[in-house]
Amino acid sequence: MSDITLRKIDRRTFLKQSAIAAGSIPLAGLFVGVGKASATSASDGFAPNAFFHIAPNGDTTLWCGRCEMGQGISTALPAAVADELEVDWARVTILQGDADEKYGPQNTGGSQSINQMFEPMRKAGAAGREMLEKAAAQTWNVPVNQVEARNHAVYHKGDNRRLEYGELASLAGELPIPEEPTLKTRDAFRYIGKPLQRHDQGAIVVGERVYGADVVVPGMKYAAITHVPVMGGKVKSVDESGLGDLAEKVQVVTIDRFERPYGSLGGVGVVADNTWTAQQALKRLNIEWDLGPHATHDSDAYKAELVEHVEAPGTKVSERGDVDKALEEGAVRHAATYVGGYLSHSPMEPMASCVDVRDDRCEVWASTQAPQAIQEDLGAFLGREPKDITVHVMAAGGAFGRKFKCDYVQEAAALSQAVGAPVQLTWSREEDTRTGYYHSCSAQHIEAAIDDDGNVSAWLHRAAFPPIASLFDPTNKGPGERELGDVIRQPFAINNFRAEVGEAIAHTRIGWWRAVYNIFYGFAINVFVDELARKAKKDPVDLLRKMYSDYKGDEPERAKRALAVLNKAADMGGWGREVPEGHGLGIAVHYSFSSYTAMMVHVEVDGSDIKVHRVDCAVDCGLVLNPDIATAQMEGAVIMGIGLALNTEIQFKDGAVVNSNFHNYPVTRINDVPKEINVAFIGQENTSTGLGEPGVPTFAPALINAIYDASGKRHRSLPIRGSA
Amino acid sequence: MSNRLNVNGKSVTVEGDESMPLLWYLRDTLSMKGTKFGCGMGLCGACTVHLDGQAVRACLTPVSTAIGKSVTTIEGLSEDGTHPLQVAWQENNVPQCGYCQAGQIMSAADFLKKNPSPTAEEIDAAMVGNICRCGTYVRIRKAIADAAEQMGGDNE
Repeated sequence: MSDITLRKIDRRTFLKQSAIAAGSIPLAGLFVGVGKASATSASDGFAPNAFFHIAPNGDTTLWCGRCEMGQGISTALPAAVADELEVDWARVTILQGDADEKYGPQNTGGSQSINQMFEPMRKAGAAGREMLEKAAAQTWNVPVNQVEARNHAVYHKGDNRRLEYGELASLAGELPIPEEPTLKTRDAFRYIGKPLQRHDQGAIVVGERVYGADVVVPGMKYAAITHVPVMGGKVKSVDESGLGDLAEKVQVVTIDRFERPYGSLGGVGVVADNTWTAQQALKRLNIEWDLGPHATHDSDAYKAELVEHVEAPGTKVSERGDVDKALEEGAVRHAATYVGGYLSHSPMEPMASCVDVRDDRCEVWASTQAPQAIQEDLGAFLGREPKDITVHVMAAGGAFGRKFKCDYVQEAAALSQAVGAPVQLTWSREEDTRTGYYHSCSAQHIEAAIDDDGNVSAWLHRAAFPPIASLFDPTNKGPGERELGDVIRQPFAINNFRAEVGEAIAHTRIGWWRAVYNIFYGFAINVFVDELARKAKKDPVDLLRKMYSDYKGDEPERAKRALAVLNKAADMGGWGREVPEGHGLGIAVHYSFSSYTAMMVHVEVDGSDIKVHRVDCAVDCGLVLNPDIATAQMEGAVIMGIGLALNTEIQFKDGAVVNSNFHNYPVTRINDVPKEINVAFIGQENTSTGLGEPGVPTFAPALINAIYDASGKRHRSLPIRGSA
Repeated sequence: MSNRLNVNGKSVTVEGDESMPLLWYLRDTLSMKGTKFGCGMGLCGACTVHLDGQAVRACLTPVSTAIGKSVTTIEGLSEDGTHPLQVAWQENNVPQCGYCQAGQIMSAADFLKKNPSPTAEEIDAAMVGNICRCGTYVRIRKAIADAAEQMGGDNE
């Protein structure tokens, strides 16, 4: 239930938008205090809400309120506004909105942007279109049903007279804003559902896209930082005597632990005229740490503990039927334990922002997923109102969940305050790797049975992992019912089901990592089904089909859609086809973040050499806003899946992270990427849902099942090659 | 001995610490932000620039090494963003976050000069030093092949 979890925790703790339920953001709420008075003062024009402005010359500006981190949202959402507004895409400029409640919820995570904002964006555009049509009708003194907006102008349906949008802007701005504008029918879409090119590609290929690390403001200093190696530790002493000739050129600032979930872990910063000098000076400091209570954390030992916890009876969090009896009576019975390691997000742009703290203002330029959380956190840090913190949202050079937690911004603020100048703080790769909010390591144990009629009659699912809740509640001792939601809610026909949890006390900061708990749930469930099917001498796809087809629960739609993506992927990939010796096929399907994905993997195994030849992905995320961007999300999910399945794990020894850079945290490179990744979207008649995360959970299990098919070797612990 | 170097056709004089990597000299001293920091160890390729036409990792290249030489960055690869690779990158919608792409394009540009008609395997081998965490590799391959064809390489 990580999508829900994310919203609950995030909002309960931080957001003013806490009352807004997903998908039901009141349009009026987004339009408060706007209308004629809010039209851009610099130039007259038409801006009835926060999302667009049409200038008297027709030039149109669209604002994206959600954060861009590569997922294409700053093209997809403005395109929805543009479509309903009937503006010419060629005349549109897209700007990123600063942190401001007028844009609605801006914190961008949980694959929620499309879920939450698609309809409000359409309404924002449709309201404008209706007002422009009304303005034209008034000008011509005809009933409004005789006019029609079309591609940046309003036409008279009878004689084809036209008025350009620019000509209508001023009059339209005088009119009342419709509260429930009529949305287009799908056949009238101009941009939605089309492979519109992303608005920022041109700037990227010439190096002009400005990321958080690229911000320069007058008087700005550059900073480097090193953090306390263990959560809960602190700086004991800093000896600056080794600085030598750099002593004159730098300022050394001790940064205290800031006791908020997204606050600094604590460390030492160095401020200089350039990053290089700051980094060199940092290396010359002799810092003594008090490592605190988690200094014995060892990830291998911890994973072994988690395995013990899930292989013994746990605490029941959900139950239906009588699992023990059904297991006892099963014709075929199977049990297996699955393990996964910690993961670091490792975006190519490490944590970076520029902050300028003054007595009377605070201005932030940040790569971030959570501008409104920055306002809350810096407000708390500086003792100011969140609204008094100005946050400019820069392009994020990758994020994957990490830049939702802006400890690095709070650190830049601390440094700016200390030196009395704007400070650009970019973490080194080593700090990024060692000071994360990691994806939980985990253990899961599943026991299940198939009865005489071939039904999966029992399923016991035990999980132990340090949950994200530990970030918000240090007394947390492990996952509960909420964290098991994505197991409980899989639409399988299993009459006797029990979910249990085992203890897992967090020894590091745990965070949302693209697809969150679904990574290990999707892995365990799909690999287990493959094992169970083979033990029962059944085809794994047939067994999955039966589990969905026979589903009699409360969410029949869910089972139907999961079955459909399974069938589509099997069809695309040619399930059951002959493959050469040493090759194998595997499949996996998973429901998460309100979307459905299935993947079929074709692999070749030669000893320890694993080569993925082809991946076929079937997706149901409802109506796809931009098929090209959505396809790219799936390609990226496969490639991230390759990394976590084969190579990457963050390891701890003596409380500290062992990994440091890409040599011992080897994210996927081009040579591990299959030649073919095919993506198909089905179920487009359904409501649009997110796709940033749902592609990730299915790759690893499909690969592991394919490896078994090719070699007879069953992997139950990820990553299979190991990291450091 | 003059301590000048040429950056995208403009002559600049190096003052101060000549051991500073070219990456930070470009980014912090010259405020040219197109060249990106990714790892600082030559592992990711995000900082790739051309030094006298050869692709180098700017994070490992002291600015002293560049004195008397010509540096080309993403900002100077073409006058107006129309290098065949820049065009192919857009046509294939390669970038997701885009942060690594300057380095990818600069690596590919040097590679295509040396090998104008590469095979798929040669493209992979040439690009293995450039990491993209968003996972745009399938499109990078396609864009390089398209650009090679555009540039007149006899691509199979």
